[in-house]
Amino acid sequence: MDIGKKSTGIILIITSLWVFITICGWNGNWFVGLISSVVLMLLYMMLGASKNGKLSKKLFMYPLLSWGVLWIVGFYFSKYYADVFAGKMPNFSILGFHPSFAFTILTYWIGGVLTLTVGLNIFTDHWLSDEDWDNFKEKIKAINSAKEEC
Amino acid sequence: MEGGIKFLILSFSFAVIIISFLIGWAAKKKASDAQSFFGGTALFGPITVSLSTIAAVASAFAIVGVPGIIYSFGNTMTLWMLSSGAFAMAYLAIGKKVRAMAEVGPIASLGDISDLRYNGHRGIKALLSIVLFLGAIAYLASQISATSTLFAHLLGWDPIMAGFFIFGILTIYTSLSGEVGGVLTQAFQGLIMVVAGIIMIFSFFSITGGFENVVEVVSTAGKVTADSAGKEITKTFSPGMMNAWGVLPGSIAMAWMFIPILGTMGQPQVLTRMYALKNPKDMPKLGLYAALGHMIVGLFAIAMGYAALYLVGKGTIPPLLKGDNAIFAVADHVGVYAQLFVYAAILAASMSTASMFLTLSSNIISRDLPSALGKKLDSKKQIQVSRITTFVIGIFAILFALTSGEAVAILGTFGWGTLMSATFPVFITGLLWKRASSQGVFYGLITALTLNVTALILNRTGFKWPGGLPWYVNVITAALVVTVAVSLFTKGATGNELDERIETVIDL
Repeated sequence: MDIGKKSTGIILIITSLWVFITICGWNGNWFVGLISSVVLMLLYMMLGASKNGKLSKKLFMYPLLSWGVLWIVGFYFSKYYADVFAGKMPNFSILGFHPSFAFTILTYWIGGVLTLTVGLNIFTDHWLSDEDWDNFKEKIKAINSAKEEC
Repeated sequence: MEGGIKFLILSFSFAVIIISFLIGWAAKKKASDAQSFFGGTALFGPITVSLSTIAAVASAFAIVGVPGIIYSFGNTMTLWMLSSGAFAMAYLAIGKKVRAMAEVGPIASLGDISDLRYNGHRGIKALLSIVLFLGAIAYLASQISATSTLFAHLLGWDPIMAGFFIFGILTIYTSLSGEVGGVLTQAFQGLIMVVAGIIMIFSFFSITGGFENVVEVVSTAGKVTADSAGKEITKTFSPGMMNAWGVLPGSIAMAWMFIPILGTMGQPQVLTRMYALKNPKDMPKLGLYAALGHMIVGLFAIAMGYAALYLVGKGTIPPLLKGDNAIFAVADHVGVYAQLFVYAAILAASMSTASMFLTLSSNIISRDLPSALGKKLDSKKQIQVSRITTFVIGIFAILFALTSGEAVAILGTFGWGTLMSATFPVFITGLLWKRASSQGVFYGLITALTLNVTALILNRTGFKWPGGLPWYVNVITAALVVTVAVSLFTKGATGNELDERIETVIDL
């Protein structure tokens, strides 16, 4: 995925999302803001994980997109069960937790680590390979040498 | 508390302080040049850096304040404490670029990265230094104030004596060994927190029998009232405390989810550790180890809040006078071994955060700010000046924290969000976007500084922020909008003015 040429557009979307989320917080539309913040984080990671403006499709699908979908689904069910059991004790639990909070535990906490953290370890080379790093260091060395000669 | 137990806690805590001192003392040999002394640059493996990172991120507030907030309002704060995936997010977004900057030039501080990115723009470095200094001093003073008061109360000492004993020793080893000693002592302190966390999580299950019982007690307890020292205290429980958002306004739940997750990549204690890592290819492992450690510390804090709710709801202990007593009430209930580890964990959390922010503020005063004003010293002189500065700031901070209660409380406004408001324009935007101009970042920082101070004044007047949204979200958003808007119409440090090496870093 070539996102290098779209970086200004992505930064503008990121900035707009910051404004949108803030306004959502002001107006009480906090759940819309919460979901939007997942998109905001996804965009930051897409920009940062790309190499020469290109984002590996594998890295995008897992961990990045899988993480985003998992969190949005998790937040949806957290809200759903919070609303269903508002003001009363839930009539069932998931692993002992309130069903609403169980989605925080399973998707936000454990799911966040199993996607982002484990995914980064599995697809390290799609983020930064030995070759990328060596090429980078050589390029810096060459630029520094050229500067010294000048 | 019985004298024998106090003696044991004192001995255990004393051992933590002395071992920290010995590690710091031994580390001073490694602090041979500016990069190692100020930045610990490219010196450490992922286990050391991960423990150091979680220790510096989790302050005494995480161990004492978070269980208190969970006791008071339910699960709202758990979103903050369960942000263990944030490290991988930070490394995915910005990690390789920050680490790569250490290959471009001699990096010993965040100010050095700013210099390289924005062609030595003095205004940016000066403003960045000021905002970071405000946040660093606020963190430092609050760690000193809370921990010294706690141990003074426990041991029957004068708070200033307790402060000088704990943080005086910390000041000495930090001034000798700089960031090298900082990283190593924080790694040891992080290990203490993880071990204490494991012990207290087991204690939680032994007290409550599991989360299901806590949900049942909190959902059905209603109001619990008891007399404490002639004063009637009532704790009101509600089923809503146990859902994902707790009983605080939803906008706070929203902010306490995305601000800690995103904000992790903008915290100096995370950014500086990115370039302390020896091999950048180890960064994914660093993310994994940091996440595992953070998961334990996070669950530790939540379990303590839950255990306090359970004990009060069941009528085993009376309602707490204030939420911050939650962890101590649980430790007292469990017994002496829990008390030993809880106090050691609080000490470790406050010392690690304090040493991190002591070196940060000292580096700013002795190195980054003078450089921004055009004064440059050679490496040896810089280290000498920094050692003296660290010592002076350390002593000043102890005296300030323990003699200026209201000023410390006012300064306590600054923290996580303040640091984000400076680092997001400079580093996150600047290293992800080639068109982030020096003018844009400069005006973004002016906005951040102005609005941080304005927010501090408004908060003191009782100003209510729209929707109950935490003030710092507004400040960060405004700083980013200004940064990007001005960048679109200016060209400093972009295009032909962007150093070819920095372009290579952004492309990496």
